[in-house]
Amino acid sequence: MKTFRPAAMLALVAAVALGACAKKEPPPPPPTPIPAPTAVPTPVPFKVKDVDLGKSIGDDKKIKDAAAAFAPKDTIYAAVSSEGAAAKATLKARWTFGAKNQVVNEETRDIAPMGPAVTEFHIAKPSGWPVGKYKLEVSADGASVATKDFEVKK
Amino acid sequence: MAFPDEEEPDFSDVKSGSSSSAEAPKGEAVTRTYTVVGGDSLSKIAKKIYGDAGRWREIFDANKDTIKNPDLIHPGQVLKIPGA
Repeated sequence: MKTFRPAAMLALVAAVALGACAKKEPPPPPPTPIPAPTAVPTPVPFKVKDVDLGKSIGDDKKIKDAAAAFAPKDTIYAAVSSEGAAAKATLKARWTFGAKNQVVNEETRDIAPMGPAVTEFHIAKPSGWPVGKYKLEVSADGASVATKDFEVKK
Repeated sequence: MAFPDEEEPDFSDVKSGSSSSAEAPKGEAVTRTYTVVGGDSLSKIAKKIYGDAGRWREIFDANKDTIKNPDLIHPGQVLKIPGA
């Protein structure tokens, strides 16, 4: 005759209950890929990219009709395209005439560009430009960065 | 052919200007300078820049460090132009 053992029965019930309640450990999540470090853009230093000459400019200060030859009554525009940022940059336009480089006009402008920018300089002579060859020299912070030759013809 | 003693053209009535898509430096007014050419006087420059020859004294006052005599300025001299 079998004897009923309450302690053994209790242990059996507990084992079954535990087995039913125990949840399987979820598989560990796949390792999160570590994003490659994104390069922090370094500020582009201020630099003059180009100088264009023409007879008029648009609202964006860019030359609308480029020219290298002008009529005596024309207003002459120079658009200085630059890139980069600077708390202060000084642009200078020096206009000269003839082989002796007689100074026609010189003007400076301080700017604080935050990126691409266009700065225009213009000159006009109500009595008319003397016919001949002229030169524009553009400087940035005291260093010559571009020269443009042009001509005034009748 | 150009002769050495050929008279140089007069550029004293040249009008100039500038503008930029970039801002002016913070806390600073736009700096404008003018380079004296032959035949210039302070009143001529004031007339050229302000349209009023009588404002020559403003230019003189802004350049007292380099101009001692308002009747004596030299070609090539660079002047600060206030409020232009």
